[in-house]
Amino acid sequence: MLAKSVIDDVLEAALSTGGDFSEVFVENRYSNQLALQGGQVEKSLSGREFGIGIRIFKDFQSVYTYTTDDSREGLIKAAKKAAQAIKGEHILQPTSLERQAIESLHPILLHPREVEKKRKVDVMKKTYELAKNYHSSIEQVSIRLFDDEQNVLIANSEGTFVEDQRIRSRLSIQSIASDGIQMQTGGYSPGAFKGFEFFENLNLEHYAFEASRMAVTMLGAEHCPSGKYPVIIDNEFGGVIFHEACGHGLEATSVAKNNSVFANRIGEKVASNLVTYIDDGTLANEWGSITIDDEGERARKNVLIENGILTGYLIDKFNSRRMGMTSTGSGRRQSYRFAPTSRMTNTYIAPGQSTNEEIISNTERGIYAKYMGGGQVNPATGDYNFSVMEAYLVENGKIRKPLRGATLIGNGPETIQLVDMVGKHLGHGAGMCGSESGSIPVNVGQPMIRVSEMTVGGRMGEE
Amino acid sequence: MNLQTFKDRLFAFGSEHGFADMELAYVREEKFACSLFETEIDSYNTSETYGIAFRGLFKGKMGSAFTEKMDEDSVTYLIQEAKENAEVIESDEPEEIFPGSQFYKQPDFFSEKLAQVSIVDKIALLKSTEPFVFEADKRVTAIETFVIQSSEVERGLLNSKGLSLNERKNDFLIALSVVVKENNQIKNGFIVKSTQDFSDLVPEQLARAAVEDGISQLDAKSLKSGDYPVVIRHDAAALLLTAYSSIFSAENVQKGQSLLKDKEGKSIASPLVSIIDDPFEKQGLACRSFDDEGVATSYREIVSSGTLKTLLYNLQTAKKADRQSTGHGYKSSYNSSPEIAPTNFFIIPSEGEGNLVAKVEEGILITGLSGLHSGANTISGDFSLAASGLFIEGGVVKHAIKQMTIAGNFFELLKKIEAVGSDLEFCFIQMGGNCGSPSLLIKELAVTIE
Repeated sequence: MLAKSVIDDVLEAALSTGGDFSEVFVENRYSNQLALQGGQVEKSLSGREFGIGIRIFKDFQSVYTYTTDDSREGLIKAAKKAAQAIKGEHILQPTSLERQAIESLHPILLHPREVEKKRKVDVMKKTYELAKNYHSSIEQVSIRLFDDEQNVLIANSEGTFVEDQRIRSRLSIQSIASDGIQMQTGGYSPGAFKGFEFFENLNLEHYAFEASRMAVTMLGAEHCPSGKYPVIIDNEFGGVIFHEACGHGLEATSVAKNNSVFANRIGEKVASNLVTYIDDGTLANEWGSITIDDEGERARKNVLIENGILTGYLIDKFNSRRMGMTSTGSGRRQSYRFAPTSRMTNTYIAPGQSTNEEIISNTERGIYAKYMGGGQVNPATGDYNFSVMEAYLVENGKIRKPLRGATLIGNGPETIQLVDMVGKHLGHGAGMCGSESGSIPVNVGQPMIRVSEMTVGGRMGEE
Repeated sequence: MNLQTFKDRLFAFGSEHGFADMELAYVREEKFACSLFETEIDSYNTSETYGIAFRGLFKGKMGSAFTEKMDEDSVTYLIQEAKENAEVIESDEPEEIFPGSQFYKQPDFFSEKLAQVSIVDKIALLKSTEPFVFEADKRVTAIETFVIQSSEVERGLLNSKGLSLNERKNDFLIALSVVVKENNQIKNGFIVKSTQDFSDLVPEQLARAAVEDGISQLDAKSLKSGDYPVVIRHDAAALLLTAYSSIFSAENVQKGQSLLKDKEGKSIASPLVSIIDDPFEKQGLACRSFDDEGVATSYREIVSSGTLKTLLYNLQTAKKADRQSTGHGYKSSYNSSPEIAPTNFFIIPSEGEGNLVAKVEEGILITGLSGLHSGANTISGDFSLAASGLFIEGGVVKHAIKQMTIAGNFFELLKKIEAVGSDLEFCFIQMGGNCGSPSLLIKELAVTIE
């Protein structure tokens, strides 16, 4: 993507004012997005993104610049300009580069760029028909299909010189049900680190029906009561709760500057004994998987919390300096337009001992959150909030009526202490996570879990 | 290749390959950002980028593609991809390349004075503000983020019907987030300011505002959950309007995804509510003299004393409704699909209206909202959002309240507005457009308190 001699010169120019580390990130990316509504393809857009990011460190200072100009002189000029932010003598020479071959952990069978758009349209139409015909009250169905080929080259002054290709595919289904007065929605968006084979092997019926079932069910749902309840959170995307409540607080981005409630607490008990929390970028072909991170480090399985004890953080190269700890292969970024920082990949709570039946039948009165929507956390305070897309009231150990408009609020470090049952069936859900280094694909996951008490907000008021 | 040469090559290659009308839109961006941690600069970012979007009519369908490189490969790539994309489009709603509006108001979105502020002066602002943060209050434990960002953006549109438009704007933004602690409560105080007038930023004031925001949330107490009269402070109200601005899109209405269907000319809000869309309002971040289809933008009354005057239209939805585009064709970036969005979109402040809190015997002042991307359903109007705020008793603020949720329905809320404040402010978040609002007094909202 860029000649080795150019990279050598850029890495060196970047160190000309006393920097102690320099890095070049080259990205060449092709993406397609198609949208279908009312049974017809309405939008189809493809594009190519290409650019270069140059980063320099000097102790605890980081300088980043990016450009779409890939000429040798343009890049050297950019590197020298960036280096001006550092004041010192040129001391360090970059280690000579030798390309390291890496084998992808995530084999691709059908490259998206080799598949005709018509075949992609066929998948969308099939899904549309399934979702639309699920029930007579389904008024609208929108289908989006997205595929992405990201080619990266990462080289740094420590001798790293690698290339990687990431291929991702995702299908998004949104159904709207109406009874003539009100409208309710349901959605499902599975994704994977796979090529077109992902769509061909996907159980379209399952995802289409679930999206529509959710919308139809919510038409008949009552407003959620408010108050403190035990909350059962189902597997797959339910894991978003600990992604927000704990995952972000374990990222070096906030730990390194002591802005996280989890800072300086390795070895301490931070969660219920039932909680083991893992971030694993190596899971084969999962949506949040990587082979190497965006700093050229190998993906790995990082155990963050083991049986309630804090065992590790997610660390990128820059924050590793301040923390005096090594990188965990967690440096990620949306594109060359962002400097990388510590981020999650596939993060999940490890399976426990309970069956789903046991969890539900042991709950006298509570809320069952079957599908979670998105959420947010303030890493400094640990306060989080989530919306629940599909919720039910649980009474006397049985799932009763559906509820809408439920929001869960609380404090992450407190909630994770209150996990009192963990199910056996781990499931992952695909999502996009937004933070300092942009929006990146991540998986969240967990088996069904129960939290003994959470604050539930709804319109019905306290009973 | 320069822009003109690239456009000529692209259009020539396009017409050879069967494209009728064609358009090239570009965005050139220069950015500088810098953050401070413990008196030292810890990150320093600069960038200069180009993005190019191509659209063209191929056999009556609009095909689109984008690139970030102006080279020979991109010419071929754009035409091939746009052609393939046109071939799979099935919608028969006609799209067109716009020949141009009769009149374009001259934009003045670029401040020469701001462009001349040096990086040294910008960094000096950061460094001189930091000590004030810790001096402001003993309970400040840390600065979480402290960043400045300046940007210069040029956008342009050239088409085969002879239209050639471009405009430039620049701005400067400073964001400060502090952590305060008392007993065992940790809270966040936050301030963001965006301006073209650098001299407007006074270090001591910035520091104090962020610290006060944090301190005001300390010593939070619980309160019985239930229905309360609520004052939504201007910044929180602007966020709520941001989350729901998409209901005014004619596209969402025509597709049955907004409950404003058939509501033009009808009452949708309290008579106290008037909403304006003003692309030339300098307080807003979304200034533009032409939209992303090349249509001239202008000041418009969207809601007048509670009555919906017009939806927001682009060319396609206007044609379908047999009327003119209102200049709201929008792409969030050159690499995005076209949609509809407002520009600077705000509720008109009510002049002379005093402090809304004084009107409340017992109620809640909402000072912050979060979870808007997931807890606000724009289709049903239902929202259930995390909120922070203060307890009001006898017309005065008493104390902070623990984390809350507020739940309701936006369409109902618009009708339940009992007073509109005089304190209009724009929020710093842009979801398409940039929304602003004065504080709003709502008769009653369901509030759940932790």
